[in-house]
Amino acid sequence: MNNKSLWSVWTNHVENKPEGTAIVHWVAGEEPFVWTYKNLLDTAEKFSRIVFEKGVKQGEVCAIIIKHNPLFYPLYLGISGAGALPAILAYPNPRLHPDKFRQGLAGMSQRSGLDHIFTQREMEPVIKPFFEQEKSTVKDLLFPFEFDIDSVDTVIQHEKLDKIRSKVNDDQPVLLQHSSGTTGLQKPVVLSHKAIRQHVDYLGKNLKLSPNDKIASWLPLYHDMGLIACFHLPLVFGIPTVQLDPFEWVIAPDILLDAVSKERATLTWLPNFAYNLMAEKVRFDDLEDVSLASLRAIINCSEPVRAESFNKFSSAFTAIGIKDEMFSASYGMAETTFAVTQTEPGKRPHELVVDRGKLSQGRVELPEGDVVTRTCVSSGNIIEGCNVKIVDFDRREVNAESVGEIAVKSVSMFDGYRNYPEKTAEVLDDDSWFYTGDYGFMYNDELYVIGRKKDIIIVAGKNVYPEDVEDALNKMENIIPGRVIAFGEEDNVLGTEQISVVAETKLNDNNDLKTLKTNIIKAGMGIDVNIHSIYLVPPRWLIKSSAGKPSRKANKERIINKNDKSVWS
Amino acid sequence: MITDRLKKVICETLDLRLDDVEIQDETVANQVPGWDSLNHVNVITAIEKDYNVRFKSIEILKCQNIGDLQNLVNSKVG
Repeated sequence: MNNKSLWSVWTNHVENKPEGTAIVHWVAGEEPFVWTYKNLLDTAEKFSRIVFEKGVKQGEVCAIIIKHNPLFYPLYLGISGAGALPAILAYPNPRLHPDKFRQGLAGMSQRSGLDHIFTQREMEPVIKPFFEQEKSTVKDLLFPFEFDIDSVDTVIQHEKLDKIRSKVNDDQPVLLQHSSGTTGLQKPVVLSHKAIRQHVDYLGKNLKLSPNDKIASWLPLYHDMGLIACFHLPLVFGIPTVQLDPFEWVIAPDILLDAVSKERATLTWLPNFAYNLMAEKVRFDDLEDVSLASLRAIINCSEPVRAESFNKFSSAFTAIGIKDEMFSASYGMAETTFAVTQTEPGKRPHELVVDRGKLSQGRVELPEGDVVTRTCVSSGNIIEGCNVKIVDFDRREVNAESVGEIAVKSVSMFDGYRNYPEKTAEVLDDDSWFYTGDYGFMYNDELYVIGRKKDIIIVAGKNVYPEDVEDALNKMENIIPGRVIAFGEEDNVLGTEQISVVAETKLNDNNDLKTLKTNIIKAGMGIDVNIHSIYLVPPRWLIKSSAGKPSRKANKERIINKNDKSVWS
Repeated sequence: MITDRLKKVICETLDLRLDDVEIQDETVANQVPGWDSLNHVNVITAIEKDYNVRFKSIEILKCQNIGDLQNLVNSKVG
């Protein structure tokens, strides 16, 4: 067998520490289920054999749509062990309309070329109509929890599987993950064995990982931060990971703190809003005997990092062991496997107070005199194997201390979006620089991320395209077609953006307006988007851009800055 | 059976008209307009305040739907 495939890395752990803990599957209020390396890989081997016998071929993409379940992990590894590419998709939120979910699947299928779907029986009525469509690429719908894994005898060698594994070279793809985005518009990123291994190697060095480390995570595994940092990194490095259910965490965020305390976890990754959510929502009397003293880094990634969020978290949890030096930050994306920068563990990320006015003009200048300031938080130094440059609109590198688009290069770079050459050409140049669409600057060799080139709204770490929200609302009764805009509005309490919409309507009765507002929220729910603020305005209120369409920027400013009496919210 | 009192607290917290939403035993929280993960705790806090009760986060977590939440409220005030 090729000793560089991820399968061989995982099986090496079985040889070196068969009874070592690989994964702790956490369910609130229950005894956790512990996978040792031996049990995990034995079960993965069984799944590999079943998957192979069911006709899954090397290189085929296997979508996994299942809830938090202990069998998920060996299934994922088993698909990989059969030479196929696991691709984790989000289990649909109950409120997402089945048609919308199927549309999303169709969009993903078109780009990702999904070959098989592994799911739970309860999803059959939802997925089957999509699977039966003429143009569907999906060959079969499989229900892995119904596989008779106990009957699989792994004592005898499986020659065909052994042959597949022996031929794997480390440039071959090992998984498919989707860049963050609205379902159906997410871009598929294929990563190789080498990309994952090298990334883990470099990021591990940067984080000073040791065999004593243990990761705790509530992050969904369809997101790069959950999948790479909290799943692949520990599995490759050989340290335990404690996996919580994201659906449980959003209802009871204290379960992460409980898991960290009981498992004595040392590392966790959080998007910025999670610091605020836990500081605001966790109640001290739910934290009996909880100590966070085992943590050495709580890494903020996936949203712009806010100093205030660190302060809130610190104030809330100092009494149970949180120290300033535990705070950490990183900048990453699916296209580079994950991290591009990382702050030094054991030191709170640097904060830089700059002149806000100058910053909006693209200059990084320290404040002089009585000016409005902005505190920017460092996302850290560039990790080994990566390179960063800041460029202008023409993609020319800008001078030091100037703001521009962040472009990155990495040894763990993707080869382009699968089946999406036009999108790849937009973001990847001939010299392998990836243009991220994020704005930022370098200061003292550290990267500061301050915003985005496009109108994408990042709600609690999830990217939402305003066009999707506008499309969903434009079809609604009592909204003037084409007269809706959606934008992101800062929620300082929760440390994230929330979705706001402005819509023109001819209604003026208060009860009618309230009903329309409820219907707008429902329309958002149909596409799995939470619309937080709704501003209903009379006809011809929205400012148009030069192209004749309502301008998001101008109308956002009008809403936020002016107290217009014709706005009903 | 969801009481009018519980429905009223939920609707007032989410700024909804009672007539615009249907809340039954089987309704799950995120089927109610505006009851999303980011303001879930606001709804729970409003219920606690109205009924003068206190829920543990694990008790809320084990509620599968609003009928379960109603039963939890009843068990606390009963």
